[in-house]
Amino acid sequence: MWLGIWLAVAGLVLGVLLGLNIPLVLPQVYAKYLSVAALAALDSVFGGIRAAMEDQFDNTVFISGFFSNALLAAGLAFIGERLGIDLYLAAVVAFGVRLFQNLAIIRRHLFKKIK
Amino acid sequence: MKLSTYLSLGLVAMVLGVLIVFQFRVTRHIEQGIPAGRAQELALELRQLEKDKSKLEAEANDLSLKLEQVTRGQTEAEKALKDELAKARLLSGLVSVTGPGIEVTLDNPPQQPGGGGPASLYVIRDEDLLRVINELRGAGAEALSINGQRIVAHSEIRWAAPFINVNLTRVVPPYHILAIGKPDNLKSALEIPGGLVEYLRDLGVQVKIQPYDRLTIPGYSRTTEFRYAKPVVKG
Repeated sequence: MWLGIWLAVAGLVLGVLLGLNIPLVLPQVYAKYLSVAALAALDSVFGGIRAAMEDQFDNTVFISGFFSNALLAAGLAFIGERLGIDLYLAAVVAFGVRLFQNLAIIRRHLFKKIK
Repeated sequence: MKLSTYLSLGLVAMVLGVLIVFQFRVTRHIEQGIPAGRAQELALELRQLEKDKSKLEAEANDLSLKLEQVTRGQTEAEKALKDELAKARLLSGLVSVTGPGIEVTLDNPPQQPGGGGPASLYVIRDEDLLRVINELRGAGAEALSINGQRIVAHSEIRWAAPFINVNLTRVVPPYHILAIGKPDNLKSALEIPGGLVEYLRDLGVQVKIQPYDRLTIPGYSRTTEFRYAKPVVKG
């Protein structure tokens, strides 16, 4: 399990370095979509950690959830933009709530392990 | 855990890292600038204003062109009016004129002192002056004066014994008649055989004709008031 965490951290660091070194700056128009997608991805990762702690981790579910959540969030933001509704707020709220939930569950699992 | 799980975990973490860093960078950009929607709005406004500006510039150009035309028209009209006025003044004899011409000097027959010989009793009468003036006019004189009195359209040459009045001013012999025109024509018109000069000389009048390259005839100096004659307004 620790190996997985280290691997995740290493991947994160690699991603950060990659992102910093790519000389590509997205147009500001897409900033909203990207932010919602990043939030969705973050939620997926926390969901994955929680699943791993509950020993229910399924790789397929994790991967598909990660990408589909990100895409759905970005798509929602896009549609909202076209319709004139701030639909991305729905994604923000939904993923934010789930983030806190997942974080709470992870905390409890950690406490259980420590005890 | 299987290998694929680790791989996917690493991959996901990497993608997440890229996403987050990208977002950081974009956000930093946005904070420096202005929100995307606002930027679009401003760009749209800018385009609209540029369009307006070009339209207004075209209008301004058009108007200044028109103004220029109007100003030019005005100066032209002013010039035409001034020309017309100068012509009218010239025609009515209100201005002094200069040019080539002749001077005709008429004097009464010499009075014989002591009464020796046949003294001519003839004196120059208004008709004589009128005929001279008329002859000169007929020969193309453009401006005439008698003893400094400009002959204009309403000048009179009238016998008011024992003087002659021209322009209500007394003129006395010798009479100097100035005429501007072609000197040869004027001279020959007077000196034609059987003409006026011959006739006057027969009467004993002393006639002298002197051509000049350049002589000046003064303008009509009295003010003319039209108290009874009014112009007819047409239409």
